[in-house]
Amino acid sequence: MDGTDLIKACSAIGAGLAMIAGIGPGIGQGYAAGKGAEGVGRQPEAQGDIVRTMLLGAAVAETTGIYGLIVALILLFANPFLPR
Amino acid sequence: MNFVEMFFDWLLTFDKTTLISAASAIGAGLAMIAGIGPGVGQGYAAGKGAEAVGLNPKGAKQSTMIMLLGAAVAETSGILSLVVAIILLYGNPIIDLPGASIILAASAIGAGFSMIAGIGPGIGQGYAAGKATESVGRRPKLYSSIVRTMFLGQAVAQTTGIYALIIALVLMFANPFIQ
Repeated sequence: MDGTDLIKACSAIGAGLAMIAGIGPGIGQGYAAGKGAEGVGRQPEAQGDIVRTMLLGAAVAETTGIYGLIVALILLFANPFLPR
Repeated sequence: MNFVEMFFDWLLTFDKTTLISAASAIGAGLAMIAGIGPGVGQGYAAGKGAEAVGLNPKGAKQSTMIMLLGAAVAETSGILSLVVAIILLYGNPIIDLPGASIILAASAIGAGFSMIAGIGPGIGQGYAAGKATESVGRRPKLYSSIVRTMFLGQAVAQTTGIYALIIALVLMFANPFIQ
């Protein structure tokens, strides 16, 4: 086993670890969706406003999941540690 | 010879740059775990935002505004982790350091571990943002004092995230184990 293999193996572990971050947006956006449903159930006439606010907040909550995905993709496909 | 010794002997058969690069890859992944925090917190804020708009559709603008302000603060720990991960990937200061390769490799993993602390501030600040959104939805006139209280609390909640960042930066740029 040469050095490149070790870097590849550890990059695979690192990419997997980075994606653990997906726990957060999942929980948070689920909560937002729940509250959104609750709000629409209580005030159906405000549905447009409620859904807009919910989607805006959920989009912000998504960001850290995307950061994790970017780092994982870098480790997988554009690994700066491997020789070109 | 026990397994741990065998494992370290095997690790030391690799050259220094390889070992540190491999450890940095794991460290970058570990740092990104902090993204759990802002994700949960901002989602809570988003939920409270939807709830506040549902209760008081007239105050929708103010509720949305304070939700976004609070969520922006909750984002910081995620950004700090991303910065540490990017440094480990593209501007790795550890590779050029003199010293035992195993210590440097462990420091790269340690820097990543340290950033996991960002989960806490992310969830906490998001909770503050959610509660502030709820209050503004109920009483939009108190907007400015609610925002002030929210920012104050979030600033305090950020401290442990900053401590983690300091430790990660020390491990990367001013490693005390390397003389």
